[in-house]
Amino acid sequence: MIEAHEVRKQFGPVQALGGVSFTARDGHITALLGPNGAGKTTLLRTLVGMLKRDHGTIAVDGVDPERDPFKVRSNIGFLTDQFGLYERLSTREYLTYFGELNGMNKADLRRRIDEVSAMLAMDDILERRSKGFSQGQRIKVALARALLHRPRHLLLDEPTRGLDVMSTRAVRHALASLRAEGCCVVMATHVMQEVSHLCDDVIVIAKGHTVAQGSPEQLCQRTGIASLEDAFVSLVGSDEGIVA
Amino acid sequence: MRSKLLVVFLKEVRETLRDKRVLGLLVMFTLMYPIMFGYILNQNIERATRAEREGIELAVIGGGQAPTLMSQLRQKNITVRDIPDAGEEAIGEMLRAKKVVAVLRLPPKFSDNYHAMRPARIELWFDSATEQDRRRRDVEDVLRAYNANIASARLLAHGVSPVTLGPIDLQRYDTGTNAARSAGFIGSLMGFLFFPAFFCGMAAAVDSTAGERERRSLEVLMAQPVRTWELVGGKWLAAASLAVVGITFELIVAHIGLSWLPLEEIGMSWRLGWGDLAKLCLASVPLPLFAAAAQIAVAMNARSFKEAQSTVSILTFVPMLPGLVVSMMELKTATWMYAVPMLSNQTLMREISKGGELGPLPYVLTFACSAVAALALFAFASWRMKSERYVLAV
Repeated sequence: MIEAHEVRKQFGPVQALGGVSFTARDGHITALLGPNGAGKTTLLRTLVGMLKRDHGTIAVDGVDPERDPFKVRSNIGFLTDQFGLYERLSTREYLTYFGELNGMNKADLRRRIDEVSAMLAMDDILERRSKGFSQGQRIKVALARALLHRPRHLLLDEPTRGLDVMSTRAVRHALASLRAEGCCVVMATHVMQEVSHLCDDVIVIAKGHTVAQGSPEQLCQRTGIASLEDAFVSLVGSDEGIVA
Repeated sequence: MRSKLLVVFLKEVRETLRDKRVLGLLVMFTLMYPIMFGYILNQNIERATRAEREGIELAVIGGGQAPTLMSQLRQKNITVRDIPDAGEEAIGEMLRAKKVVAVLRLPPKFSDNYHAMRPARIELWFDSATEQDRRRRDVEDVLRAYNANIASARLLAHGVSPVTLGPIDLQRYDTGTNAARSAGFIGSLMGFLFFPAFFCGMAAAVDSTAGERERRSLEVLMAQPVRTWELVGGKWLAAASLAVVGITFELIVAHIGLSWLPLEEIGMSWRLGWGDLAKLCLASVPLPLFAAAAQIAVAMNARSFKEAQSTVSILTFVPMLPGLVVSMMELKTATWMYAVPMLSNQTLMREISKGGELGPLPYVLTFACSAVAALALFAFASWRMKSERYVLAV
């Protein structure tokens, strides 16, 4: 469970986060919706303790990422908008590297890599170096890295961007099964279809503020608009930055 | 559970060693560099000592007309070779081929003019583009002496003392030798032996910082439960260890080469035993550590891989400056020189190669000055990576 209350962050004269509050529950997939530049990346970085907030509280399973960033990080799988693979390492070596950085021991790591690999159907690329991987293969490797240390929370920044239909389905399937296991998944996305199909909860942020939180149906009800996309536009107050 | 610094270190080393270009560079600097270096040195020694060994070769056309001149030339250790007159083309060809220092041509009318006491022309053909100047001057000296002798004899025959024509008596004493002249140059060349400390780890340092940043994997890495000093430390030691291996091997290869070169002939020496070499290598270990730390501290702040590469390349020449200044100003070795990274290594090597007993201080200073600088730069880089401004720029 991730709880944020009135989180603010200022960079010089720029107010990146002006008061973000939300709750992302276990066993739920929570969508983080917002136009480009709304502060999503800043929020995610603040949640893992890479940035310090100026105001407000954050608790990841009751732990403040500013106090104990390592405890929070070892309980979070973080998928940034770039995958960050190493072209000269094979998938297994890549996963081993991040597993070791998360303090996993060899035997456990080997077992876990096989598990994750089976879950994401990536046995065929496990021993290959990532040079020349397709976008779908890359995201699988990055997702496997985020899941490796069995985090109870997942922070995903546009996980299905640039993927073909098959890969998108594979990722969605993986997310659904993680939800079934009781994970707390927070996913920044621009794809409305994905939100209505997959997500239980939606947080809308615009200009650094939480504009609304609720299930997709609740958001539609609240705005009195049937389509989620139109509801989102109405909540944000402009039609910028939506790639559907 | 392994130390996270070690995890980062091993990953960086493994990744770097898989880059063929980096490996190629490493091999080039450990093997090619000292070999090239030895070759240049050998060429210099050859050139510097050739004159003393080989003497002067002179080709003469029509030498039979002046037997006294010929014998005087031979007395001055000049090898005289008679050749037929084959025209100007042939003479030019001969000089270009550097078979002779110069060609002396006595025209057919030489005898007649000589006996009639008219100025008898002698032609000296030479090629000023070759480096035979000094030896050509030796030939001219002989001709001048011959000229003076004959003039004196003729004056004497007319009842005039030849002393009238020599109001002063110039005696030249050249205390410089070829060897001494080239020793300074070769001495400064030796300073370049430490260059690989900066080159061997450069690719790894740039790739693991600016490269990771450009490929956006640094953000992922920084979101792991790892302290920034462990990240920076692993990357730093990985780059440095490659350079340590590189410079050590390079010094060993250079040692073998330098022991074999006839350095004594130009008044230099390389009186190093393997024990001295080991001590020198050990004292030089922090130099690549310093180099890698500086490269990482600079590269991590560059906006792109390319910018990092060019900045670091420029930076590489900075440590060479003190050494160049010292050799240009011809400063005598002083203790402060052991407290400047790079200059200390160059000075230490120069002093050891002379073969004297140095005592522990130069070794300790050489080791410590680079080590302290390296640690300071490492601390700076770690602090920098932790700062919020850096996180934002990643």
